[in-house]
Amino acid sequence: MSAAAGADLVALEVMAPAVTGLVQGSVYGLLGLGLVLLYKSNRIFNFAQAEFGGVAAFTWIFFDTGKGFLPDTPTPVAVVIGILMAVVVALITERLVVRPLFNAPKITVVVATAGVLLLLIAVEGFLYGGEAGSFPAIFSGDAINEGAIRVTNQGLAIIVALLVLAVASALFFSRSRYGTAILAVSQEATASRLVGISVERISALTWGLAGFLAGVAGILLAGSIGLAAPGSLTGLALVPAFTAAVFGGVTSMPGALLGGVVIGVIESLATANIPKEDLPGSGQVVLFVALLLVLLVRPSGLLGKET
Amino acid sequence: MAVLEATQTRALPRTMLGWVPRLAVMAGLAYLLLVRMPLDEKFAPIYADAAIYAIVGLSLNIVLGYTGQLSLGHNGFFGIGAFSAAYALTVREVPFALTFVIAGACGALFALVMGVVALRITGLYLALITLVFGITLENSLFEVSWLTNSGAGQPANRPEWLYSDTRFFYFCLAFLAVAVYLDFMLLRTKSGRALLALKENERVAEAFGINVTAFKLLAFVLSGTLAGVAGALFAYRIGIVTASGLGFNLALLFVLLTVVGGLGSRVGVMLGGLLFASLDYVLHETWAHHVNDFVFRWDSAPQFAVGFLGALGLLLTIVKYPGGIGQQIRPITRWLAGGPFTLHDDRDSGPAAVEGSSVRA
Repeated sequence: MSAAAGADLVALEVMAPAVTGLVQGSVYGLLGLGLVLLYKSNRIFNFAQAEFGGVAAFTWIFFDTGKGFLPDTPTPVAVVIGILMAVVVALITERLVVRPLFNAPKITVVVATAGVLLLLIAVEGFLYGGEAGSFPAIFSGDAINEGAIRVTNQGLAIIVALLVLAVASALFFSRSRYGTAILAVSQEATASRLVGISVERISALTWGLAGFLAGVAGILLAGSIGLAAPGSLTGLALVPAFTAAVFGGVTSMPGALLGGVVIGVIESLATANIPKEDLPGSGQVVLFVALLLVLLVRPSGLLGKET
Repeated sequence: MAVLEATQTRALPRTMLGWVPRLAVMAGLAYLLLVRMPLDEKFAPIYADAAIYAIVGLSLNIVLGYTGQLSLGHNGFFGIGAFSAAYALTVREVPFALTFVIAGACGALFALVMGVVALRITGLYLALITLVFGITLENSLFEVSWLTNSGAGQPANRPEWLYSDTRFFYFCLAFLAVAVYLDFMLLRTKSGRALLALKENERVAEAFGINVTAFKLLAFVLSGTLAGVAGALFAYRIGIVTASGLGFNLALLFVLLTVVGGLGSRVGVMLGGLLFASLDYVLHETWAHHVNDFVFRWDSAPQFAVGFLGALGLLLTIVKYPGGIGQQIRPITRWLAGGPFTLHDDRDSGPAAVEGSSVRA
């Protein structure tokens, strides 16, 4: 085999899926960031996280296409409305479901978030119908298109969004009053109350932030796939996002971002290189094995300090 | 002593005459639920589903209700039962009766493997890992070509004497009866009490000499076995097993029917099974015949109404009425069992303490 052909093969089997995985993994990282945030503040797993993104995506498409009695809104406005909707839904969830269960066992709250997930899928279904509809990319065109390796502008936007939000949240948590308050509550709720932090308001703030992150991720993901049905974003991204969060250490925000990218690349490489006849659903199997290994070998994850 | 006498007299109606209305109501309910409805061939498949769901509900109740661990992967055990029974019957030509043993054994085996992992992973992480387990099986094992008849689905034909859906319902009902009996016996034994102790407080239980890991594993394996057998019944109920319908949605449905039915309440969980088995049909019927024709057309509604009502029921159960259906119908079940009819709840006597346990307890 000539060197050029070998390079082509590497490009096809390794580079191309790795690049796809990088984009996909950035979405996982964004969702994982929200999961970590909620875990840090409430010590729970939010099974509705990816569907908050679904809510944002559907709201966006409703306004963008002017469905029903809605006005035909320009895309940027529709996107903002979509993200706001995700924040609102997250806040409602916090107020009506999470807060009444403040003193309940954590497993109960987790079951309740699964209930919220189901409820959101049903409401999306009522309004949108069961069929998958098309979701146009917000940023059209390709950033890189060289042979097998292709990055769309939408993909680039996802990576940029991840980096910007990562830096922003790092600054928020290290510099701002509210950021440090969230961290304080996550470490010691009673003591935080004593120094005058309202635990309830901090909880609402955290859920709002998680909703925002999910909203951005959901709109970008739906546009990057081009198709979505009620619940499809959860089916696509929830498990990888959880794996990313656990992989990076479930309390570490940089860990979740790193974990997201690693998980995205691993999954994409497995799907591209293991034939379906040998092992169907190879991406999923690899995720499962990765999750098991992390939990059994290093439960605190790559960058986590606590379990 | 006086207290003891008081509870004893309260547990029985004052005269034997008191049993007459109770037996009449019981007979009426039994006739309606076990004879009248299933005899209608149109309803029989729904009732068979209800019995199957009830078995899964009891299975999940062991893990979630008794030991307080959330499994979001019961669709995996259920699916393994369905596939292994269908594969054994159709490809390996194993006798019909033996396929249930195989399904139960496969469910138990997977639960054992999962449980060994779960020994080190508890609480939230267990919920997560079981979720991923179920989804992985759905996407991977349930798509393997030798198991799924090259993707077309593995046929599972009932023997001739079970062709009638009504008969098949009674067949499922027999399995349900055995499951209820086993569950009942389990709580009577030392193991059952150990499981309940685990839920309350693992550390205290351990201090009393209960081997926490062994009993958690036991709960998982028992649960997996029941789910596997229920899966086999499901395979014969639908006649052909494919991966579709065995995914995360099914796992959520199982959790829904168990929690809404009422954790720790056998009657409640079984009613939860009946509710969620019939909800789809009821909604489709009422919608198709009444709302869509006379009020307004909304075609996508019935498809999502089950999920909507189920989720609403789940959230209401968790946030407002932690005992689920089992708790709400306590006055009736207590009266039928010979107690007084009051809306006040007393959880003082024996198994009733289990009946009243909840997600939040």
